[in-house]
Amino acid sequence: MSRFDAFFEGLEFRTATPQYEPGDELAVIVTGRDGDDALVRIGDTRLRLADTDVAVDAEVRIRVTAFDADDATGEAELL
Amino acid sequence: MEAEPTIDSGGGRSLEFRGGPAASAIPIGLFIVWAVFQSGVLGIGDTSGLVVGMLVGLIAGLPFVRGDWKTYADAIFEGMTQEVAATAAVAWLWAGMFANTIQAGGFVDGLVWAANAAEVGAALFPAVTFLLAGLLATGIGTGYGTTIAFVTLVFPAGLLLGTNPILLFGAILSGAVFGDNLAPVSDTTIVSAVTQDADIGGVVASRVKYAVAAAIPAFIAFLIAGTTMATTDPASGSGVTSGAAWGLLHLIPVAIVIGTAVRGRHIVEAVSWGLASAFLLNVALGFFDLVDVGVSDVLVFMAPESSGLATSLDTAPLLGAVVETVPAGEAGIGGSLYNGAVGFFPLIVLTLLIVAGAQIMRQGGGFEALQSWLLDTVATTVRRAEVTMVLGTAMVNAMITINTAAEIAIAPYIRTLGRRFNINGYRRANILDANTSALGYIFPWGGGVLAGYSAMQTLPEEYTWFTVDMIVNPAAVFPYVFHGWFLVAVFLVAAITGFGREYVSDRESEEVSRV
Repeated sequence: MSRFDAFFEGLEFRTATPQYEPGDELAVIVTGRDGDDALVRIGDTRLRLADTDVAVDAEVRIRVTAFDADDATGEAELL
Repeated sequence: MEAEPTIDSGGGRSLEFRGGPAASAIPIGLFIVWAVFQSGVLGIGDTSGLVVGMLVGLIAGLPFVRGDWKTYADAIFEGMTQEVAATAAVAWLWAGMFANTIQAGGFVDGLVWAANAAEVGAALFPAVTFLLAGLLATGIGTGYGTTIAFVTLVFPAGLLLGTNPILLFGAILSGAVFGDNLAPVSDTTIVSAVTQDADIGGVVASRVKYAVAAAIPAFIAFLIAGTTMATTDPASGSGVTSGAAWGLLHLIPVAIVIGTAVRGRHIVEAVSWGLASAFLLNVALGFFDLVDVGVSDVLVFMAPESSGLATSLDTAPLLGAVVETVPAGEAGIGGSLYNGAVGFFPLIVLTLLIVAGAQIMRQGGGFEALQSWLLDTVATTVRRAEVTMVLGTAMVNAMITINTAAEIAIAPYIRTLGRRFNINGYRRANILDANTSALGYIFPWGGGVLAGYSAMQTLPEEYTWFTVDMIVNPAAVFPYVFHGWFLVAVFLVAAITGFGREYVSDRESEEVSRV
């Protein structure tokens, strides 16, 4: 990416519920916990990392394992 | 049905207060009351006064501590030694030296010359003034400095043409908003990037789209208002400095700083390159007698004339350029490097104390309580979170009218709210800075408006034709700060529609190793 591209990054209307597919690898911030599961909220899309011991606010890389586009919810695992 | 997930702040409470977590907000709360009283009620825009306000706040919190007061004192030190304060301080010192050095080289005079050379009439003058003030503020990074310079130099020129004074003041303030928001050397830009873990170059590049989206309608609004609003009779008489075209060459160091910062160099390196080129330009302009500037305008040691050694150094070949002898009472250091850096000392101390107050609120649980309330009841979707960030920043800026101080106070909330929705650092920094920059120049009690108003009050002494009734009342100008209003509007629309929204997974901020 040329440095010039930095001026045009984000020049679009971004959805509140970003869609992902199984296999997508993402850099994210852990936003909550629910029992033993870690939760990642990206906009209004929610991903659940089952049985994952990682603290809220940690910056991690994850892989999406399942995604329901209608619900904007899915599951993911830590990389 | 799944249980509502809990959010753990991760901070860990180590300070207990009589009266519960809410009492941990006493230092910051008292500071806000002090700031409202000082700047809002009394109209005193003195940053050092706010320093005392924060000190009093920190002392006032002590009696509410349960147990050993040492933990409270430790929290102050922990807060003050956080990297965010140190990084902002370093960036401010460099930016201050750079801005003062290009001003010493006649940059303002160059812009005044451009305004005169364009030979625009009274109707077009506000629109052109908006552009030129925006250019100056983008170069020197200080909206207050731009406002004072333009009110002193360009405002009288506009009145001589018969331009509507209220509209012209609004155009100057709009230009100040533009530069305060966009300039890589602006104090608010630096705070916005540093507190949101983003690099300054990337932040500047990413906010151009919002700045332009607000500046185009603002420019058109100044064109329309310029032709439709009543103008005054051209004031007779003269005495306005015509300025020198050569000062415009300082656009080169400005371009070097913006270019190197956007290319991804550390802000200290980018500004150092700009500073070096501005210094060489000043030496050349002074040597060829094009601008009245010399090495001593950048740095001068003013030694007491009673000192024999100083007298001999004053006439020495190389050192003589930076050594002067003065009456003993006036001894000191001067020049743009000195003035530029020293000008930021009060703000640096204030920042250290505010982050100390924020640390007490964090360790005492007040921060977490307020944050949980926001997340549970207000910011329940990403749109609502972003609207909350826009309006929250605006509200704090309406109360603490020295906008950098307001920005430092609200920054941790913007960071937490944004991160809970994986909104990336650039977007968070842009929401934080745009509304901080805009509001500080809109409200009649805003620091930028008061700076311009104070400068305007000196004009009747300076120009015989400038009468007291030509001074613009701060309460009259707020509807005409078009760029400020459009910038807030752009961000409200952007929060609702998702324009410019970026998530952490879309693009990672280049945060860790540099700012």
